[in-house]
Amino acid sequence: MTHRDRVVAIVVATLAVLVAGWLLLVSPEREKASKLGTEVSAAQSALSAAEGELSSARTAQAQYVSAYASIVGLGKAVPAADEVPSLIYQLERASNSKNVEFTSIVSSAAGSGTGSSSAGSSATSAAAGAASSAGFSQMPFTFIFDGTYFDLEHLFEQLNRFTLRTASGSLQVSGRLLTIQSVKLTPVGTAAGSSGPVQLTGTITATAYVLPASQGLTAGASPSSPAGATATASARGSSAPATPAVVEVTP
Amino acid sequence: MRAVNLIPAEQRSGAPVGAGRSGGVAYAVLALLAGIAVLALVYGIAHHQVTSRTSQVASLQARASAEQASAAQLAPYTSFVAMRQARVTAVEQLVDSRFDWAHTLHEFARVLPRDASLSSVSGTIGSAAGTSPGASPSAGASSSATAGAGSSASVSSVTPPGSVPTFAVTGCASTQDAVAETIDRLRLINGVSSVALTNSTKPGSGVTSSTPGTGGCGANAPTFTLSVAFQPLPATSAAAAAATTRTVAAHSSSAAAAAGPSASAAAGPAAGALR
Repeated sequence: MTHRDRVVAIVVATLAVLVAGWLLLVSPEREKASKLGTEVSAAQSALSAAEGELSSARTAQAQYVSAYASIVGLGKAVPAADEVPSLIYQLERASNSKNVEFTSIVSSAAGSGTGSSSAGSSATSAAAGAASSAGFSQMPFTFIFDGTYFDLEHLFEQLNRFTLRTASGSLQVSGRLLTIQSVKLTPVGTAAGSSGPVQLTGTITATAYVLPASQGLTAGASPSSPAGATATASARGSSAPATPAVVEVTP
Repeated sequence: MRAVNLIPAEQRSGAPVGAGRSGGVAYAVLALLAGIAVLALVYGIAHHQVTSRTSQVASLQARASAEQASAAQLAPYTSFVAMRQARVTAVEQLVDSRFDWAHTLHEFARVLPRDASLSSVSGTIGSAAGTSPGASPSAGASSSATAGAGSSASVSSVTPPGSVPTFAVTGCASTQDAVAETIDRLRLINGVSSVALTNSTKPGSGVTSSTPGTGGCGANAPTFTLSVAFQPLPATSAAAAAATTRTVAAHSSSAAAAAGPSASAAAGPAAGALR
């Protein structure tokens, strides 16, 4: 073996040792480190998502009291049950305040309806309306009021004001949400001999709404915690609302 | 005599430079050692990264799991707030989709001429026009509006966007000119798309009128029947904007003032409506 051959052999052997070391030891470790880098990124993303989720959950927890009050307040506009007595009470109150006589309420779902309704029509109307939509159930009614033109106009405004949007865009609920579909104003009788405004009969077809039976008003929530969160809040000792939400609901 | 080269073999011309006595093996060993050192350094760095990243991943995953568990514990609160939002949105949509009947009646009274009066007003929305009171509202136009992510978000309004409010108005006027003026005035109401005359008949003219002829007009006063159609109900956002801006009154009062002096006083013509 010449000197030159010996040098070549030594160089080749050295390179072989280095390449083998790279391939067998260093490269797999670097690959592993690279994979772990990806895993770290993924874990960081997951952590960020979890942090966001937790943050929104804590925000929701902090908002619970107001949300409960809001949802109970909305129950005046869209109750969990048909609440026909409450509706009659509200209509009577509104018509009295506007000098209008509340003559009749007929549940349209109960049939063509000749008589005035009472609590007896409640179940029928709710059942018939329940099939009307996947969300709120519809309860169609026909109301008859007697009054002057302007008194009836003011009454319609009052009915709208039961549930309305304020100028700021927020909801203001003081009574049942009603959607009037038709209005018919006809004179009660001839105006001969009378000097005052003609009394009119206002026949209104309107729809009230009811929450789905599967939900209930608060979906099982209590003023202090939602359904399924009582054990959680006490176990965590977290910042669950210490003071229960108190909502005053008048019919 | 034999010549002897006294120059050391490694310094003679043509000999490998720097090979030394080892013939370059020493350099090769040094290079090998240097290479191994570099490999060891790179391996060490990679190994350190693996170790640190492994612990980092474990730490991050543990934190994420803990936070997810916390969030899951608070999930009922999240669901409840989402349900509240869905209901609010649904109610808002229903509120926004309503037609303002009171304002329309107010506008009728505002624009009506002094020498005309109404005997009956019948208004309906959508295809429910002409149905008798008490009919199911499902006969009218209906559409569902999806609102939010809540389960109660899907609400079907009985007066959905696109429904057309229409009024059948009967009344009487002192003259046929007054009937014409009534038609013109009704067109001034904001949102009215068309006012069509069905009939205007003087009593005793030989033509049977469907209107009762009440309203305090003279014995020879023509009775009329008009059909007033409004523009289709707008989408809920537009309706909300319309409800808040409420430029209707200003518009119609100024238009009525432009149309004639008798309409500018709101209470005056209004008192003639259905009187």
